[in-house]
Amino acid sequence: MNVITNNGIKCTVALASLQNVVDPEIGLNIVDLGLIYQLDFDESEKKIYCTMTLTTQFCPMGESITNAAKETLNGSFPDYETVLELTFDPPWIHEMISEEGHEFLNEK
Amino acid sequence: MFTAIGNTAIVKTTSYKVVLPFYLYAAVAFLVATILLSVSAGDFTKHYFHPHTLAITHIMALGWGTMIILGASHQLVPVLIEGSLYSNTLAYISFISAAVGIPLLAYGFYVFNMGWPAQCGGLLVISAIVAYLLNLSISMAKSKHENVHAFFIFTAALWLLTTAAVGLLLVCNFTDSLLPENSLDYLPLHAHLGIVGWFLLLVTGIGSRLIPMFLISKYNNTTQLWWIYGLINGGLLSFIFLFLYTNSRVLLTFPLMAVTVAILLFGHFCYMAYRQRIRKKVDEQMKVSLLSVSMMLLPVIFLVITGVLLLVSASESVSLVTAYGFIIFFGWITAIILGMTFKTLPFIVWNKVYHHSNGKAKTPNPKDLFSNVIFKWMSAAYISGFVFFTAGILLQDTVVLQSAAVLLSVTSLLYNWNVIKLLTYKPVSV
Repeated sequence: MNVITNNGIKCTVALASLQNVVDPEIGLNIVDLGLIYQLDFDESEKKIYCTMTLTTQFCPMGESITNAAKETLNGSFPDYETVLELTFDPPWIHEMISEEGHEFLNEK
Repeated sequence: MFTAIGNTAIVKTTSYKVVLPFYLYAAVAFLVATILLSVSAGDFTKHYFHPHTLAITHIMALGWGTMIILGASHQLVPVLIEGSLYSNTLAYISFISAAVGIPLLAYGFYVFNMGWPAQCGGLLVISAIVAYLLNLSISMAKSKHENVHAFFIFTAALWLLTTAAVGLLLVCNFTDSLLPENSLDYLPLHAHLGIVGWFLLLVTGIGSRLIPMFLISKYNNTTQLWWIYGLINGGLLSFIFLFLYTNSRVLLTFPLMAVTVAILLFGHFCYMAYRQRIRKKVDEQMKVSLLSVSMMLLPVIFLVITGVLLLVSASESVSLVTAYGFIIFFGWITAIILGMTFKTLPFIVWNKVYHHSNGKAKTPNPKDLFSNVIFKWMSAAYISGFVFFTAGILLQDTVVLQSAAVLLSVTSLLYNWNVIKLLTYKPVSV
């Protein structure tokens, strides 16, 4: 799934940093898992709006993953405030895993 | 577009402080049971209604199987019922009551004192189940979601309460003659309420959620799970009716067939989840868990052989019945716990230790928090100990039984080693 954004360059930087956030059980980062849906940058208010999902709404690691995503974005863009919104519409499906993610899971 | 629902949508995980005592208690109970097994191995050549055999069975069923399932289910409540656990206090009450009650009950059986130790122990175990059931009921009532797994876990808890109540009645029947027959005559009823109603229903309910989740499988079949639910409960209800109101052994094949079909359907469910997995490599813990699913058919085979012999010779084969009980408690129940402990416990510990470190620094994976080498040795000791002990019961050979009991003790020692390693884990940054 492609990430929707209003700023391609900053989105690339943000996604690169979010690749450090890993789902501990799967061992795969949240970007290649397809958990990030949208990343918008509000230059006037200096805010990052990140819309993401989890593999299941009741994921035991949910809190850890969302906190990590938020802190990572705050770390990469210290002048911005991150507003993280969680959605399950549409719900995550396996088809959202990137090609790199599939390669990783086939190896693991 | 997406519908953002904010951070409130994340269901809070159950605190590790609630869950870890259950895991630790179960590990110690497994160790105690295998040590008693080594000391009393020769008793397994005698009738299964032997004080030592009864004590070991109850330590395995309650101290090991039930305590770890209670711990895991407190942790998994958010995943299974799709809502948060209602009360930590009720969970602590459940733990303390069971933790005190189980040794009292086991002691009562071991010295065959059916007076206050066994009766108080039984009452405390019932209190623990009531607290758990209350916690589960309110958690489910507060959850906005309904799913098949919640029905499995709730019904299983009701069967556990029934099993414990019947068990206490049988204990009291020794001293107060409350029932028309001897307690021994009701033993099959008590045992199958627990084995089928509690363990089988719960393992299929939790397993059908966790196995696809850990395999990262696309497979899901709710209709099949409802069939399993119906067949297990229908089979058990018909067994209770036939046991209490008829003398026909032939009719008892109907509940057996229902439960067998349920096990086969669950096996098919797990196989399809395995086939449709995204992560190709299956770790050792999942292999042991999947092995336990296939081991579910062993008791059915033993039960069929016992039933056929009973119809042909009209006398019960004691060694077959003892082996039947052994392969349930030391077989599939133990195998799935050995596998699933090292899928669930590392998560809980990881969440406790690295909750705030994800994304900031490279952290180890949950599977790196225990020793996989010890796990492999534990699995080897377990499989060989299990096979030899079953053979020892059937051959009525004390030397084989004692050797196998040592292997099972090694299994529990290695299991405890890894559990302690996890519980005492200190964070490191890689």
